Amino acid sequence: MASSTSGSSSSSKVVKIRSSDNENFEVEEAAAARSETIKKLLEDVGDDADVIPLPNVDAKTLVKVMEWCKKHMDDVDELNKEEMKTWDAEFVDMDQSCLYNVLLAANFLNIKELLDQLTQKVADMIKGKSPEEIRATFNIKNDFTPEEEAEIRKQNAWAFE
Amino acid sequence: MVEMSMLPEECISYIISYTSPMDACRSSLVCRLFRSAADSDVVWGRFLPHDLLHILSELDLASSMDSLSKKELFSRLSHRPVLVGDDRNRSFAIDKRSGKNCYMLGARRLSIEWGDTPRYWKWIPNWKQSRFLEVAELGIVWWLDIKGWIETNMLSPKTRYAAYFVYNLNVEYNGFEERPVKLRVYLEGQDGNGDETSVFLKPPPNMQQQFRERADGWMEVEMGEFFNDGGEEDDHRVLAFSLFDFDGNTTKSGLIVEGIEFRPKGIDR
Repeated sequence: MASSTSGSSSSSKVVKIRSSDNENFEVEEAAAARSETIKKLLEDVGDDADVIPLPNVDAKTLVKVMEWCKKHMDDVDELNKEEMKTWDAEFVDMDQSCLYNVLLAANFLNIKELLDQLTQKVADMIKGKSPEEIRATFNIKNDFTPEEEAEIRKQNAWAFE
Repeated sequence: MVEMSMLPEECISYIISYTSPMDACRSSLVCRLFRSAADSDVVWGRFLPHDLLHILSELDLASSMDSLSKKELFSRLSHRPVLVGDDRNRSFAIDKRSGKNCYMLGARRLSIEWGDTPRYWKWIPNWKQSRFLEVAELGIVWWLDIKGWIETNMLSPKTRYAAYFVYNLNVEYNGFEERPVKLRVYLEGQDGNGDETSVFLKPPPNMQQQFRERADGWMEVEMGEFFNDGGEEDDHRVLAFSLFDFDGNTTKSGLIVEGIEFRPKGIDR
């Protein structure tokens, strides 16, 4: 799972985090600190930290998020930029439920770059679609009355030209 | 199982702000939650030019901006150009599809050879079709030479723009069916460079029309296009656009100049 101290950066510190469903993870501090929220918590508690609880993120989602954080732990040089792009594209290619969970976690954990990538992914699913197609894509029920719908369509007429 | 409609509204707004103005309008028809998210200032603030306050700084619109939602402001600026600058000789608008900056330089803002000699050119105030305070009407010249300049940092970055000469011909027009005018785009200070094209502002009867009729009643021809990178080194690029013709035997008359418009390529007005 996400707990690992292996690899080239074995000298780096490890922190413990706990998911909402009470699973503990050991993560390299440099990876965990990609989250501004965790970084701030670590600064606040200093070295006395035992386990950092993350009450809003379940284990399954936390594994995904930490997978991203580990990959993005170090600065990327020009050479690896393309490779990283491909990795990121594959990373966000997940089912919708998972996508929203990771998105909410990225929001809570304040990981801007990850949040941007996920947001872009969902935005791309909206782009170029009609309201009907958007409803179908996201399984959303139309809760407007026909009159309301006609009125809103009129207000936004230029988008349907 | 988490669904899209279970996300907080701010989250959905944020997602929609990554689409486009058209997508946001269509999103507002999806359901109540989407409508509220799609109409928010978070979304439309991101579609408006980031230097909008600077552009509108001297306008009444700037002071009334606070009372408008960002979407209303976007809608207003994309449907009706506003006059900007100290002299009100430029107009500013937002392209409704992309939210990118569009400018038109009014005739007064251009360099028109002989423009201050009433024998050759007249300045007509309150022209009914014009968005500007004055238009230039050509009496008669042999030497037709009109130039306009744009600083590329006024335009939206990473965008392919084209410049359009916006004009009309009055009933006494002459000299435009006989000869085309030459068009050139170049970096200011490098007059020798740039491709030259030519176009008939009024094609002879046997030739296909080269101008386009605009929705505002004017005609236009494309003067040239350019990619506005907007990177650091690009900041102070000044591009010049010229329309020129000289022929000792043919006089020209009857041209009415509205201005030169800059807008993202592929958008009709």
